[in-house]
Formats: sequence, structure tokens, C-alpha cells
Amino acid sequence: MWSIMHASGSWPWSPAKPLGGKADVSDWNSLRDQEDEFLDVIYWFRQIIAVILGIIWGVVPLKGFVGIAVFCLINAGVLYLYFSSFQQIDEEEYGGTWELTKEGFMTSFALFLVVWIIFYTAIHYD
Amino acid sequence: MSTMFADTLLIVFISVCTALLAEGITWVLVYRTDKYKRLKAEVEKQSKKLEKKKETITESAGRQQKKKIERQEEKLKNNNRDLSMVRMKSMFAIGFCFTALMGMFNSIFDGRVVAKLPFIPLSYIQGLSHRNLLGEDYTDCSFIFLYILCTMSIRQVSTLNLEQGRLIPIQEEELCTCNLGTVCGFCVCLRSCASYSKQF
Repeated sequence: MWSIMHASGSWPWSPAKPLGGKADVSDWNSLRDQEDEFLDVIYWFRQIIAVILGIIWGVVPLKGFVGIAVFCLINAGVLYLYFSSFQQIDEEEYGGTWELTKEGFMTSFALFLVVWIIFYTAIHYD
Repeated sequence: MSTMFADTLLIVFISVCTALLAEGITWVLVYRTDKYKRLKAEVEKQSKKLEKKKETITESAGRQQKKKIERQEEKLKNNNRDLSMVRMKSMFAIGFCFTALMGMFNSIFDGRVVAKLPFIPLSYIQGLSHRNLLGEDYTDCSFIFLYILCTMSIRQVSTLNLEQGRLIPIQEEELCTCNLGTVCGFCVCLRSCASYSKQF
């Protein structure tokens, strides 16, 4: 999953490390690239959470809209903690908390449903 | 492995293949053409230039500066429109292919329960999730519902964005357009099947 190629051929930072503050970039183009890449990180992080939760929900199994509601809470909550507490970014630079919260949410929700349905069907109805 | 789970995996495989097919068609018809590459480079250059200018412009900037920005915005809008026209070609081709494919898959999976849903969908989604299935058990999943979910999710994971030669997330607006095209293609097939069956 982390074989996403950056334009220069390398990943700009490790998602496990904080960004290191705005003072690191002086070039405007680099700043824009860094912002786009951070949104990509948020996007793919969401997909990973969707796959993991889909597998867990399918194996347990967790059924009904409770499963969907808990997924939405965990998905939004974990990402919020990541970008606000761990990375400590300024949400206004990315259009606000809502923009970051909804980045890739629908596709991660669809992925979560697919994985959940597959594992639920395989384990409990096969 | 039961038939139902085999169908589930088959539908996931079909959606991966159709996603790759759609991207392939788009690459052949759009991405590799010089016109598209030129327009894309132009739009990117103009967007960056415009954003940089807007960031540096102050409240006291003269009328000439503002007029210059307006002219650049107009130029960018025209180029974006031309870019959309070029992409339209592939969307028609994909829509046509998907209409034919949906008709075929619809007849193959007609009346078959392809998966079990771990939840009961909302009533207005049941028309899609329980399409052409017998009984009142709304946890039975039909082909089209699972296919749409797979397309929405797997396409952005399995598809190389050949436009830029790297794996990047597809814009959600593009995905929605493709899904809409798929569902429209399916509805067209349904209506033609319904009118065809009425004759008998």
C-alpha cells in the first residue's frame, strides 16, 4: 500500500512521524505538494482502517446499523486524532476540519461494506 | 466453497476487471493523446500561477492587477472546459461498453443471492439490494448492489491512474460519474429486458 510513488520517487515523510512544522518549507510549490501528499496520506489511512474494521466486523460478527455507526465514529475519530493531536496541523490550511474529515470517507465506507459483507458471508454463511 | 461465496468472489473479480477495462479505454482514447497532455499541462501551469498570484495580491491592488487575474481565470475556465470535452469521449465509450456488460451480467446473476448482508438496508436501497430476488429476507444481496459497492471501493485501490503514471486516489467526483454511468447502463438494460419480456 505504501508503494505510492511521489513525483520525486520517494515518500516525503513517514506517517508515523510528525510533520515537523510549517517552517521546514520555504518554496511555495513544495508547500502545495506537501499539502496534497498529506491529503493522500489521510485518504489511504482511511482505506486501511476500513479494511481492518471490515475484517473484524465480519469475523465477530457485528451486525446491523450499530456496526455502521461504530465504523463511522472510529474512522472519523482516529483520523481526527491523527491530524489534530499527532501531526498538529493547522486545519484551516486544508479548508477546515470538515474537509479533512470527509477526505476519502465515502470510498472507505464502500470498501468497509465490501470487506464486511465478504467476511460475513464467508464465515457465517459458507 | 459454497456457490454463494463463489459468486461473491466472482463479482469482486468482475468489478476489478471492469475497473481496469474502464481505465484502459480512457488511456487509449484520452490519456495518451497529445492534445490531452498539452491541455493538462497548460491547466496545471495556469492553476499554480493563478493561485500564487491570488496569494500575493493585496487589498490595495490596482484595477489592472484584478483585471489580469480575471482574464487568467477566464482562460483557465476555457482550458478546463476543453479538457472535459476530451474526457467526454472516453465516458461515452465506457458507458456503451458497460451497458452491454451489465446486460450480460444481469442475465447471468438474475434471481441469484450472491451474498448475505450483515445489516438490513434502508427501504429505498432495498430496491437495489434485493433486486429480482425471491422472498422477503432483505439480508439477501443481489448482484447489482454488491457490484456497485465493489466498483466504488475496489476501483480506487486496484486501478493505476495512468494519467500520471502512478497510484493516486481517483477523485470522488470521477468515481461518482462512473458509478452513475454504470447504474444508468443497468437501468437501460432493465427497461429493455422488461419491454422485451412483455412481448411474450
